Amino acid sequence: MIVGKAQGRQTLAEVKFSEVTQALASAGVWIDVGAAVVRTTGDSESFAAQLQAVYAEFPFVGQAQWADLHVQIRKPHNVRRWFRPQVMFRCDGRQPFEPFPADSPLPLFEWGCNALIGRRLNDLLLLHAGVVERDGLALLLPALPGSGKSTLTAALSHRGWRLLSDEFGAFDPVSGTFRAVLKPIALKNQSIGVIRRFAPQAAFGPEFPKTRRGTVAHLAAPRDAVARRHESARPGAVVLPKWMAGSPTRFEPLTENVIFPALAFNAFNYGLLGAVGFQSVVRLVRQCPAWQLVYSDLDDALATIEAVWPHVMERQGATSK
Amino acid sequence: MSYSGGRHPARLAWLQALRQPLLAAQWSLGEWERVVRLARRLRLLARLAEVLMDAGLMERVPPQARRHLIAEQRLSRWRTSAMLWTLERVATMLGDAPYPRVLLKGGAYIGQDLPIAAGRLPSDLDILVPQLHVSDAQARLTQAGWNAVELDEHDRRYYYEWSHEVPPMTHPLLAMELDLHHNILPPVARTHVDANALIQRLRPSNWPAWQVLDPADQVLHCAAHLFHDSELRDRIRDLVDLDGLLRHFGATPGFIARLPERAQELSLEEPLALACHFCVRWLGTPIPADVVESIESIGPGRIRRAWLLPLLSTALMPTEPDDSPPLRQDLAAMLLLARYHRQRMPLRLLVPHLWHKVRAGRLAGNDEVVKPAGG
Repeated sequence: MIVGKAQGRQTLAEVKFSEVTQALASAGVWIDVGAAVVRTTGDSESFAAQLQAVYAEFPFVGQAQWADLHVQIRKPHNVRRWFRPQVMFRCDGRQPFEPFPADSPLPLFEWGCNALIGRRLNDLLLLHAGVVERDGLALLLPALPGSGKSTLTAALSHRGWRLLSDEFGAFDPVSGTFRAVLKPIALKNQSIGVIRRFAPQAAFGPEFPKTRRGTVAHLAAPRDAVARRHESARPGAVVLPKWMAGSPTRFEPLTENVIFPALAFNAFNYGLLGAVGFQSVVRLVRQCPAWQLVYSDLDDALATIEAVWPHVMERQGATSK
Repeated sequence: MSYSGGRHPARLAWLQALRQPLLAAQWSLGEWERVVRLARRLRLLARLAEVLMDAGLMERVPPQARRHLIAEQRLSRWRTSAMLWTLERVATMLGDAPYPRVLLKGGAYIGQDLPIAAGRLPSDLDILVPQLHVSDAQARLTQAGWNAVELDEHDRRYYYEWSHEVPPMTHPLLAMELDLHHNILPPVARTHVDANALIQRLRPSNWPAWQVLDPADQVLHCAAHLFHDSELRDRIRDLVDLDGLLRHFGATPGFIARLPERAQELSLEEPLALACHFCVRWLGTPIPADVVESIESIGPGRIRRAWLLPLLSTALMPTEPDDSPPLRQDLAAMLLLARYHRQRMPLRLLVPHLWHKVRAGRLAGNDEVVKPAGG
């Protein structure tokens, strides 16, 4: 792993821009997101600036012994360097994804890294879920399309919950705990404004208006979440969020037969893990109380989760920190 | 007995660990990082994992690398079990068909439980039936829910008239693609393989419903599959398979010495000679010097070797993980692609075929590339 902890090391936000561009142009920048280390090189100033904005609180590392993912974000060596310019993603000498428009290196980097993490980290069960932590317990927010998972995860991470991941419920079957895959939260369309209003102090990268999913902006991980990204969290509770315009907050307990498929069949690698995947999900379902949360008002949704949390702590035998 | 030596490229030294896993126990973290990246790209990471696991050496791998070995091993075991499942389903679907059904390549290695069967990443199942019975097999499979991938008129004709297989099939409930062959090389290719000669020598597999090619024919098929293909970059895995087949079947006395004769019967002298060349030099495959000599004597002549070997070696040598492929590799790959098309089809078929592919925008197709689903 990366030598030296956050302490005593400058963060990406603290170092000079020229240092970031130089590192990206030479050996690369090593970003330790918790369960994996991503090393990236890059040949454009716009990528350097975008990276610096959304990984602001991460230690700046320009040389390390190990990375799990080696990424090159660079201009093509062909006509698309100038004509309708593109940016490409390379990994280990291959180009596993199609290029993006040249002004969107960060969305390409984020999308590509997530895709490769989801394919490769099969030592972990990778649920498709947001994860936040409090009192050592993980609150799991499994994603169903249009569920508002990212919005809720982002909101919680700015109200006293520690962010582990917006995308990966990375469950370690050996230790029985969740590990952080701490990347910026990709918010889409109206969620961007919602979170800007909800947490004015939140640090965003630039908005990318014309992606396949509309406008995307990346929310930087808060300082505390970065500092504690190697602390794992025991399973606590599961909340299936569902954003519904104008709806009053509804919070209903879910039974095991509902929660099992919600976890297993949304996972990146449930089938691939075979028995390990099945046993892990059974363990989570048995261990975690689960609710469905229908909401339109974020403050109210958070208050509802807060209200039930003491019961979760009691059931999991956790103590307040 | 003397073994033909030659220099093993230092950049490929790590491949020796597939046979001598203790070597890997001495790698530094930096060496491990390189090997994990290269082996994953070359589809050899799970193989390495299985070898290390088998030797009880997993604990001696640095934890940073070990997790990737375990992860890839899981992927491989999952795909392998999907393959076994598909194999059994297809056997049932073909039912009591009164003709031989043959497993090829990866399926055959798994069906015989060969050492090289461990740690594969199968994504399709290759089977062969006699040409006379292809349409019956196809009908039975279609009846059981297999669908041919959608093709335009040109491609349909390509498969039915010029190819050695029917269009690939998929099944809504099975994770593997199915390739139904009636030969191991296209009938219009310059090299004509007599499929009946293959079928006369079939052997039982571990499954009563399936047979496999004669071991010598398996070696020759593996060689033809590699050296008659359109793309040789990152194909070291096929050489490792060849090496594994030669070592495994080569334990039977006289096996390797009889290969040249069989190659001549099947007109596969050139792929055998090329396989022998690269296996001996790059992987240290133990082939007696006199056999190497007799294999090379029936292979390509001096002039052909002088241009073909450097091209093949440039294309086959994997690029280091941080590097872009050198220009000479792209060039070699392009020339080999031209050779591939030339071997596969006479010009009167090739020119219209390539013209069609250009028009359909599929000439530079890279099936590794996936379109992102979202921003």
